[in-house]
Amino acid sequence: MNANLTSALIKRIFTVSFILLLLLFFAMVLGLSEGSTGGGFSAIWRSLNPSNADDAMLASIIWKIRLPRVLVAALVGAALSSGGLVFQALLKNPLAEPYILGISGGAAIGAIIGILLGLSRFPGVNLTAFSGSITTLLLILLMASGKSILIKDALLLSGVMVNAFCSAVIMFLISLTQDARLHNIMFWLMGDLSSSDLHQVGILSILLLPCFVVIFRYSNIMNILLLGDELALTMGIHIKRVTLILLTTTTFMISATVSHCGLIGFVGLVIPHLLRMILGPDHRILVPACLLGGGAYMVFCDLLARVLPAQGEMPAGVITALIGAPLFIILLKKTAS
Amino acid sequence: MTPAIDVKNIYFSYKKEIVLADISFSIEKGRFFVIIGPNGSGKTTLMKMLSGVEKFKKGKLKLFGRSIRRHARKELARQMAFVPQTIPTDFPFTVTELVLMGRTPYLGVLGVHGEKDRDIAEKAMQFTGIAHHSQKKLNQLSGGERQRVFIARAICQEPDIILLDEPTASLDLAHQINVMSLMEKLKKEKGLTIVMVSHDLNLASMYGDDLLLLKNGTIVKMGSPRDVLTESILKKTYGCELIIDQSPMGDFPRVTLVPGKRGTILKVKDIPGI
Amino acid sequence: MMLLPVNTLNVQAKTVTDQLERTVIVPDHPKRIVSLAPSITEIVFAIGRGSLLKGVTQFSNYPKAARQIASVGSYIHLDVEKIVVLNPDLCIAVKDGNPKSAVDKLDGLGIPVYAVDPNNLESVMTALIEIGNLLNAEIEAKKIVADMQARINRVKENISKATHIPKVFLQIGISPIVSVGTQTFLHELIVLAGGKNLSEGPIPYPRYSKEQVLSLSPEIIIITSMEREKTFDQAKKEWSTWSDLPAVKNDRILIADSDILDRATPRLVDGLELIARLIHPELFTPYE
Repeated sequence: MNANLTSALIKRIFTVSFILLLLLFFAMVLGLSEGSTGGGFSAIWRSLNPSNADDAMLASIIWKIRLPRVLVAALVGAALSSGGLVFQALLKNPLAEPYILGISGGAAIGAIIGILLGLSRFPGVNLTAFSGSITTLLLILLMASGKSILIKDALLLSGVMVNAFCSAVIMFLISLTQDARLHNIMFWLMGDLSSSDLHQVGILSILLLPCFVVIFRYSNIMNILLLGDELALTMGIHIKRVTLILLTTTTFMISATVSHCGLIGFVGLVIPHLLRMILGPDHRILVPACLLGGGAYMVFCDLLARVLPAQGEMPAGVITALIGAPLFIILLKKTAS
Repeated sequence: MTPAIDVKNIYFSYKKEIVLADISFSIEKGRFFVIIGPNGSGKTTLMKMLSGVEKFKKGKLKLFGRSIRRHARKELARQMAFVPQTIPTDFPFTVTELVLMGRTPYLGVLGVHGEKDRDIAEKAMQFTGIAHHSQKKLNQLSGGERQRVFIARAICQEPDIILLDEPTASLDLAHQINVMSLMEKLKKEKGLTIVMVSHDLNLASMYGDDLLLLKNGTIVKMGSPRDVLTESILKKTYGCELIIDQSPMGDFPRVTLVPGKRGTILKVKDIPGI
Repeated sequence: MMLLPVNTLNVQAKTVTDQLERTVIVPDHPKRIVSLAPSITEIVFAIGRGSLLKGVTQFSNYPKAARQIASVGSYIHLDVEKIVVLNPDLCIAVKDGNPKSAVDKLDGLGIPVYAVDPNNLESVMTALIEIGNLLNAEIEAKKIVADMQARINRVKENISKATHIPKVFLQIGISPIVSVGTQTFLHELIVLAGGKNLSEGPIPYPRYSKEQVLSLSPEIIIITSMEREKTFDQAKKEWSTWSDLPAVKNDRILIADSDILDRATPRLVDGLELIARLIHPELFTPYE
């Protein structure tokens, strides 16, 4: 037998990662060179060797506005995609996405309260949103605890109820708001990356990168979980412990993401499905694929959000929804056939 | 000699309903042990206790002399493998990949397998006769073949004990015999201890070395097929008429069900054991 | 309680045409007025007829006395019931903002609604005169208008000495960034105050990405909005990180009180003077 058979899987992981890394890199370069004030590929070159005031302004735009934005988009895309993947594995439900457990509802309520209190996006609204999502997570865990093997059903149910309740509260809060803050709230709810700067890149990296590592570490276990609880248990997997760790890590990751940029939807639903269709069911390949591919996708979407409107920019969440919804329908049709 | 499994005074209740009460028995190494009994007797629950899937409230359970609680899950997985009653009809991985998952208790964090693992899987697939399906997916196989895939997977755990929950319940006649013969082969050639829950008294009689008859969460009788499968015991336990005679296939009892007199509905007071 | 049209109650009334070309029958001496916008409330108080106001909209916070008056909801979401209960004999509305359906309802109930359309300095002054006529305060109204005109002329005079018209970006929204187009009175103020409105154009409230603002290279950034002070400081801090911006280099990121800039009231002239001072500090002595 081939002595290198062990590395067949490792080779595949590296190949897929390399290709997607290139894609991510390309997306980032595109994201740096284009924007609401244009530029083109030469713009990057010019900004590195500024010879006049215009170039100096371009340098400011590219490195101080676009770069943090592109980096945040990559992190957010990676988090949402891998989060969707984990929830689909844990809940054994192909329609699962990161917001299914109601974290988004809690974050939204927290964010709206922060905006109504007049806090600035960072750190104020970020923190209120984050506290909101953690509170809902605790609420859901409390509601679902005490049920043993049927963990995933209890979680799902609690999540749906919490989400519904949060929607009601959100509508109530919005109906009370009548001034310019309404705008701010709507933009947040639609998902918007415009307030990214290098500080936030730093904080998001610190919060998210360890989560990515943890998720990858459990990627093989996610494969085993597909066999069902009884078999997974009798093969040595501590289902309760694993579920708790993955759930907490992913929820923390999604909370941090949503707190920063609002409710960007469809990424966590569509990207894992798409990649699974192309790359197969093995989570050891899907996790790095979702991280890199999801990141690239989000960078592209954010680019479109910045470039498409003639005046100003759109919230990135609008683009992900406009692309994601039809894409998901196409994917569903393909898997059904 | 230390029994493979030793059960003492196990109790299990679910929402204030007692499912298993004061169960004690032991299973010798290398024996074919079949647990039988009517529906609701606690067979499946007992299987869940033995496999470690559920924890019991009171009592002791020892594997090869050591309490089950002292075993780490992974260690337990190397000694005991489980074949469930319901096999999924669809699974995204290929047969080979599924069987290789049986090596999990021996692999590292990312589950990367080596040559040795591939070898073991290959041999397990040949043993169960599904090697030619290695690249297929579950939904391309028949019910019996699917079950053998899961048995191959269980074999890859290199266990000393295999637990099966009603393996013949949804199989055709031919496949039923196949599975039982496979288990007997595993017992004879590899010295495995087979523990099976079955509803089929005749198969239990044919293949079982020791039978355990349960009713309403307690042991009615344990022993050889001849000791357990008697008319009076079975009538009382199952509540129906039957005839026991010698099977034409060998030195073990054959159970034949007897319907009530044609056209009569048995009155409640006529049904024994109720 | 049934409400009868004004003229059947034997009250002296006259027929007038309001600023929206509507024909309205208004009482000669209105005694119970409801103001349907904060700007109207201010105007009524300015001409000394605050005591006639029985109802005002939610954000009527100037002058202080207005806060004691009963609220009839917000001007974009009027509470018709509350208005009716106050039994007014005249309501004064603004074109921009008051929903037509509410006005129609009041009309249908026989409550006269007089609409004004103050959208620049001149129409504010016209509205003042018309409301002064309505409320028998012609003299007071004329005085205020004359005062406003004088101050505007003074500003114009000072500005005529300006040697340079700086590029101004006036930001009224923080997130998203929103500025003011040609059809707003803020635009008029900037122009009168001797500045060039970088956002001039057909879109009344155009949105900008940070990049777009940077590429406009504003020399002065004026931030005003109805949000709290903390957000202003945060916004100023954010702009200050772009050291290449002329506005940052010259330390011309300025914050202005939105109350005197957002409302079509006599205080708009205060706003004009404020903006003029912000744009051309060199042309004004400290307390002119």
